[in-house]
Amino acid sequence: MARPVFRNAGAAQTAAPRIAHLDLDRPLVDAALREPGRFEALYRRYVAQVYSFAYYELGDHHAAEDATARTFLSALTNLSQFEERARPEDGDGASTFKVWLFQIARNGIANERRSSRRHPAVVLDDPAAAIIADPLNVEADAVRRDEAASAWRAVGRLPGDRRRALVLRFVNELSTAEIAGVMGRSEGAVRVLLHRGLRGVARDLVDGADGTDRRRARGGT
Amino acid sequence: MTLLGRDVVEVDALVTDRYLDSLLAAADRRIVPADGPAAEPPRRPWLLSGVRRGLDPEFPDEGVRLASERLTRDLPRFHPSFRFEERLAVRLAEAAASMRLPVAAGGEGASGWTTMPQPIRGLGVDPLDDLGDTAPAGSGPRPLLFGGAVAASALSLAGAAWMVWRRSRPSGSPMARAARAAHAARAAHATRAARASHRPSTSSMRGRPA
Repeated sequence: MARPVFRNAGAAQTAAPRIAHLDLDRPLVDAALREPGRFEALYRRYVAQVYSFAYYELGDHHAAEDATARTFLSALTNLSQFEERARPEDGDGASTFKVWLFQIARNGIANERRSSRRHPAVVLDDPAAAIIADPLNVEADAVRRDEAASAWRAVGRLPGDRRRALVLRFVNELSTAEIAGVMGRSEGAVRVLLHRGLRGVARDLVDGADGTDRRRARGGT
Repeated sequence: MTLLGRDVVEVDALVTDRYLDSLLAAADRRIVPADGPAAEPPRRPWLLSGVRRGLDPEFPDEGVRLASERLTRDLPRFHPSFRFEERLAVRLAEAAASMRLPVAAGGEGASGWTTMPQPIRGLGVDPLDDLGDTAPAGSGPRPLLFGGAVAASALSLAGAAWMVWRRSRPSGSPMARAARAAHAARAAHATRAARASHRPSTSSMRGRPA
């Protein structure tokens, strides 16, 4: 997977890395602007990521599908308003198509929550049902389900911003600068969110029933 | 502001972020099949960055490293169903087509253009069925573009031509053949009856006085 390249200009400027390349999706965006039917390439590239993000936020497959559909329809109809800000001289708030798309998804999910009066804390309590079983390897599948369930629960117990930052980092594999663009926060604030979120997950895993993790965290084998 | 002058949490967060960059990049390298065997991630990736050199070598702490590795490996990724994905692709194609229409009209906008649903038409279906006013609900998703007065004139001419062609070529269906046979029989019977009524009978001539 192609990832953004950061311009690291030494310790004096490490607090504000910038995306130093142009948007990798630029050719596809230009093609979609000329011919709206070409938007399908962008859709195929990001549909799983947007759906996964929506599912982590809403905790319901149908709601995640609705949010995904609204996100892509809105992106298609408003594509002409997309403004790329991926160069260092563009300053803060770097924005690529991916960042812009996730901003739309995040806003749509927030509206969905407001309209349905859902509680902001997402309920992530049934990951095993969402993981496709492997009938050829039942034992390994059960272990995988347990591990996924413990990671799922640990992330689900975090406050909203920390959970959102971790999901965007580990599931959607966005960079810190991209997460900052999606969440409307500074990169430093996102780094602190990630760090504190990971500490919370570590505490949850160590304090949980997973004895293996507890031993490993204490330096055992 | 120097790195050492920062808040401790920000420094820890910065180092954690660098570690995550290395961890996820290593995961990417393992996923993408290269020509040779996949490269193993460095055991202490933050030492390679130069920023952490000379600082605490045990940073980030074991808990953060464990949590990062667990989330990288175990946090599930979800994919929508194939049916939903294809259905949304069709909706996007419809929306894209509707966006394309004003452009296709030469920048004249939507005025003068009419979109109407194009029914999914199989072979052997009477085209006359589609000329009614009511289109079936849920018919074909792709819009069909008609352009104003030119299209209306073309439709009228086509309709007149079709009616002429239809009358010159009677249908070959059994029902039509039976109807034509019955009609012909009724016509022949009426003709015979008319001739019989106009012909004078011999009995009446015979009884007529001379």
